[in-house]
Amino acid sequence: MPELERALRTIGGSLDYPATPDLAGAVRRRLTEGRRPDRPFLRRRVLVVALVVLAVAVGAVMVVPQARSTVLDWLGIGGVTIRYVEELPPVEKATTDLGLGDRVSLQEARELGGFPVLVPAADELDDPPGVYYRAEARQVAFLYGTERDPKLLITQAGTGGAVEKLANLNETDTELVTMDGGSAGVWLSGEKHGLFYPGVGQEEPFRLVGNALVFETASGVTVRIEAEISKDEAIRIASSMR
Amino acid sequence: MVGRPLSEAELVERAKRGDQDAYGELVHAYQGIAFRTAYLLTGSSADAEDAAQDAFVKAFYALGRFRRGAELRPWLLRIVANEARNRRRSTGRRTNLALRAAADPLSGGAAPSPEANLLAGEQQTELLAAVNELPEEQREVIACRFFLELTEEETAETLSLRKGTVKSRLSRGLARLRTQLETDDA
Repeated sequence: MPELERALRTIGGSLDYPATPDLAGAVRRRLTEGRRPDRPFLRRRVLVVALVVLAVAVGAVMVVPQARSTVLDWLGIGGVTIRYVEELPPVEKATTDLGLGDRVSLQEARELGGFPVLVPAADELDDPPGVYYRAEARQVAFLYGTERDPKLLITQAGTGGAVEKLANLNETDTELVTMDGGSAGVWLSGEKHGLFYPGVGQEEPFRLVGNALVFETASGVTVRIEAEISKDEAIRIASSMR
Repeated sequence: MVGRPLSEAELVERAKRGDQDAYGELVHAYQGIAFRTAYLLTGSSADAEDAAQDAFVKAFYALGRFRRGAELRPWLLRIVANEARNRRRSTGRRTNLALRAAADPLSGGAAPSPEANLLAGEQQTELLAAVNELPEEQREVIACRFFLELTEEETAETLSLRKGTVKSRLSRGLARLRTQLETDDA
């Protein structure tokens, strides 16, 4: 075994771990009392109901649930569907292919997209340094950073769109949020979740996503903001889109 | 007459049917590695205890999804790791790992292993400091693989990664540690 790996194992045995508490006893008491941990799934169900009511009210959402054996729950906002699945297939973030399509100018993106493309006007953001258009999904993307190291990714589409798959045990949190202009959205955070683009060939690219804000603008454009930023920062960027 | 101890598979089957005594035996068997896993991921004793406890309770209710014949330890550790990472994210805290104080007969501290004696204290401190400086994704893999001595397969399942991802993160982490240690030496 190489010296460094041996040394790591050695210090692993010298780490200052606190004494292990009596978990068996504590778990036994909780099971006896029927006290379960907070269950995000239940919170999600409340959110689902709220969103579906909202969707019916604005006539904006139509989602088709998949087989009950694989889909625990679902909700949709704009062209994005959020599904809860029992288990995600093994995936990893594709650092070299974010599925953005061709590099274009902002003007070209507006012409190709055929929908009102919005640009963030938040103070900390320059004009989008990378503009892309993906024809199959009719999606316009703004990339800050590089495909290998994306700092902020904003995608928008007039119709159809992505599917965010959240595994039940992965504990991705979902929260209903409202943009400054009143648009409803969903903030996804916590454990990474899977992002699909079904209906455009294979279910690819499928990659893992951390925090994401999904909302629908008043003009019917679905926007996703994806970055390792806080919910408030994401909402501020979203609210600045003009 | 005392019966033979139940095997892990038998305990799992009983726990699936709601036998809390059987599940208690499983928790007792794995509480040490579960707590250490949570501690390495949260850096906080209180968060680690809460994460491990919640994870064991969740696992009990999720046993119906545990495949017969699968390895229980990585399945449990995956749930523990998810709980621990969620707590770390919610607190935004990243605590550096520390070494046990050198054993002092008067303090009653555990004596260092012979291997630990071979690696000078200063070198251990330097190496652990370099580990603490690693990006989180590399530190997690290094911790599972070397500090907890999980296999690559177990590390992958615990951290919800592909085995190939574990290998690449290990490789990058080790390379970074070597570079860091060489820089320190220079």
